[in-house]
Amino acid sequence: MKREVFRRLKIGVSGVRGVVGESLSPMLVSDFAAAFGEFVGGGRVLVGRDTRSSGEMYENAVAAGLLSVGIQPVLTGILPTPSLQFAVRATSASGAIAITASHNGNEWNALKFIGPDGLFLNQTANDELLDIYNQPDPNYVSENRIRTEKFLPGAFLMHQEKILASVDAEAIRSSHFKVAVDCCNGVGALYSRKFLEALGCETVSIFDSWGNGFERPPEPVPAHLGVLSACVREHNCAIGFAQDPDGDRISLVSGSGAILGAQDSALLIGAYLIRKHPGETMVLNIQTTRALELVAKEYGVKVVYSPVGEVNVTDAMGASGAFLGIEGSSGGVIYPEISMCRDSYAAMALVLEMLASGGRSVDALLESLPRLSSVSAKVVCPSAQAGVNALRALRDRWSSRNPITVDGVRIDLDNGAWVLLRRSNTEPVIRILAESADPAAAEALARDFEKELSGLLKK
Amino acid sequence: MRFLRLGNLGMRGVAGTGLTPHNVIAYASAVGTYFSGGRIAVGMDSRISSKMFRNATVSGLLGSGAEVIDAGICPAPMLHHLVCRERLSGAVLIGAGHHQAGWNAIVPLSPRGSCFSHLQTQELLGIYHSGIYHSVPWNAVGKIRPCPEGLADSYLDLLCSLADAEKIAACRFKVIADFCNGSGSVLAESFAKRFGVELIPINQILSGVLPHDPEPRPRTAMQVQSLIKVLNADIGFVFNSDMSRASIVTDSGETLSEEYSFPIVADHVLRLAGPGAGVVSNCCTTRTLDDIVRMRGGVLFKGKVGQAHTIDRMFETSSVLSGDGSGSIALARGVPGFDSFLLMALVLESMAFRGKTSSQLAARLPRYNIIKRAVPCSSSHAYSVLRSLRGSLFPDAVFSDEDGLRFDWPDGWVHLRASMTEPIVRMIVEWKTREKAEEYAAKVSSVIERVAAS
Repeated sequence: MKREVFRRLKIGVSGVRGVVGESLSPMLVSDFAAAFGEFVGGGRVLVGRDTRSSGEMYENAVAAGLLSVGIQPVLTGILPTPSLQFAVRATSASGAIAITASHNGNEWNALKFIGPDGLFLNQTANDELLDIYNQPDPNYVSENRIRTEKFLPGAFLMHQEKILASVDAEAIRSSHFKVAVDCCNGVGALYSRKFLEALGCETVSIFDSWGNGFERPPEPVPAHLGVLSACVREHNCAIGFAQDPDGDRISLVSGSGAILGAQDSALLIGAYLIRKHPGETMVLNIQTTRALELVAKEYGVKVVYSPVGEVNVTDAMGASGAFLGIEGSSGGVIYPEISMCRDSYAAMALVLEMLASGGRSVDALLESLPRLSSVSAKVVCPSAQAGVNALRALRDRWSSRNPITVDGVRIDLDNGAWVLLRRSNTEPVIRILAESADPAAAEALARDFEKELSGLLKK
Repeated sequence: MRFLRLGNLGMRGVAGTGLTPHNVIAYASAVGTYFSGGRIAVGMDSRISSKMFRNATVSGLLGSGAEVIDAGICPAPMLHHLVCRERLSGAVLIGAGHHQAGWNAIVPLSPRGSCFSHLQTQELLGIYHSGIYHSVPWNAVGKIRPCPEGLADSYLDLLCSLADAEKIAACRFKVIADFCNGSGSVLAESFAKRFGVELIPINQILSGVLPHDPEPRPRTAMQVQSLIKVLNADIGFVFNSDMSRASIVTDSGETLSEEYSFPIVADHVLRLAGPGAGVVSNCCTTRTLDDIVRMRGGVLFKGKVGQAHTIDRMFETSSVLSGDGSGSIALARGVPGFDSFLLMALVLESMAFRGKTSSQLAARLPRYNIIKRAVPCSSSHAYSVLRSLRGSLFPDAVFSDEDGLRFDWPDGWVHLRASMTEPIVRMIVEWKTREKAEEYAAKVSSVIERVAAS
């Protein structure tokens, strides 16, 4: 067996992720669900899933595991992860399990654990869960304490209502936008068209069937959004929205068909919200474009950095009382006035509100914002420890620049340029992201650090 | 207490202690591997834990690439029928039948619709114990399909082809049936309609809670017995939770031993089939059956205990009927499994054809005194205790060890068997006279207790 196979199960802060028919067996899933049931200690646990063909199998395994420890599973069926997180709080459940591998390909699936606050479990809570999982004897209950599973079919509508009540829905409706949405054959296929129609939009949807796998690569990065771009141009839409399979991430396509990418999408929405909350505090994950910081400065908004990963952002938001959290790296917008999680539906509504309020197009709005060119690169790293050592050496070498070490090493250079070097959670590589106002400078910056890092890794 | 048992009747155990979702998913994965995918029905009884084990079973089967036909709460005989009717690869029945509350079982059914044979079981357990299951990639994971329409109707059609519904309806029988809150409840009404009987069901709420010990025995027939004369009913039936066993209460209020269900049916079936027809039973069924088969000129085959053996043997010997002393019967022309709805229909048909009351049918039976008793004995110990008794216990008897230990005399017999589910030895003693039966029962108990203590 190749070493690769052994690395195809990941148990960490983003849950339990593995390959269907291989590392993610239904037994493992059931055992983790039982451990989670013990972790929350009783009550009801919501179970949602995305559209993957393996979803039903794991849903049954999760329900069995929860029942075995005396928990009442409440099955929501196919549901966006943000709606599931919302429903946990709305129904005062003990927690939830989302069965989704988010933007990973068809062959993957995962369990994501959500606490009673609707947030993903953080590192500490995850360690506790893993500890329970590793005990030899789960506390299975006897038959007289086994509960009956329930169904909650309308969970999305609760979430939709909350969003519609939190934005200026009337202004959006009266604008009669024509929009396109790329549902990625994911949860959006069931909900997005109706959601946008509820906002008075004439909606063109693509990749809006489900059950037979993803017809485009599921990560909403520019290279995968060509069809959406063409669709926006063909139908003269005001905007195009691209989702991922479980509806947490968002990417935008402008009315001219320009694909914004995760960073620019986050910048556009972030800048709009910053203007609504001058003088407050926001959290940016360390891999977010610095252009947002420039906008924040303009409006007196204080910026707090967090490590990459939704739970890290929400933890930092909780600690700082932030009005907004942005994961620029993945197009994640967390706006607690609506929901404390990355939420593509909240993002779509906010973008539409922005378009309705200013009367300016996406292209024009983006034009008015500070923009930085970013270049990414990666260096293969022989082992996790070697990567850590190289990054430490780099940090020491650049200590005069006071590197930020919230997650990886970020070095801020002159003229607003910066570079981030960070170990990937998913691949044995160190990713480099460099940003500068000047495209050539960004490119040079990435190359310089690629060289420097390679040298350090060889030592 | 024993917690888990793997064998010809599937995987059975105490929910939460022996039987866990992990074990059941593994077992279902082994079943899916055994069938290499295909279409597999999943049916269950109404016990609270059945739904959890259904989830686990479905998950394991889907992961092995099987298409799951969701039969929901389904009496065992209807699931046997579903496999045959839809030509499925097999099925999994979730339900503990006669086991006490807290237990459950996962029972695989073969493509023929019957319980796994010994060979099939061996092959399945080989896969299960290897821990290596066929796990399909994402695009081959199975799907759940609803049960085909009209299953209940087609099952009742089959019953009507085996018992004369018109003649039964003409008698307007009043019948009390105790479904033990089990899966039989779902068909009670339509059965009554088809056969034109006034059915008074009791304990037919699918609450998941067993109202009494689900094993049809005289002591569990109390409720039916107390109603039968008050309601002036023609007959009463007591069923287990998955409709594979039944006992009878007559119109005179007599609670018959579950041993007599099979002989009453045999008396009727052989009368219609004529001399030479074969009947299959096991080695610990009442001699009343032997006498009835002899009186009707039938041929009796006896084999090992267990539904799989008994049904297999019926087909192997081209017999018309099979059953056992726990109150189970199957017809060769019926579903390939024990069927208590069929039992009810045949007993009613017998009353209708012969114009006799249920107490008159019972009066025809040659009676013996049968004592069924549990002798405490730790489970690993039970095997060695029985081994040590083999030759020495009754040198004057004809001895057989085909299944457990059987000792035969001209006037009676003794059968000893280690329980599959509890740390006891199950003893059956049958004799013409009560005194002799008690005498042998006392003797065997004391010998086992002495050997077990030493």
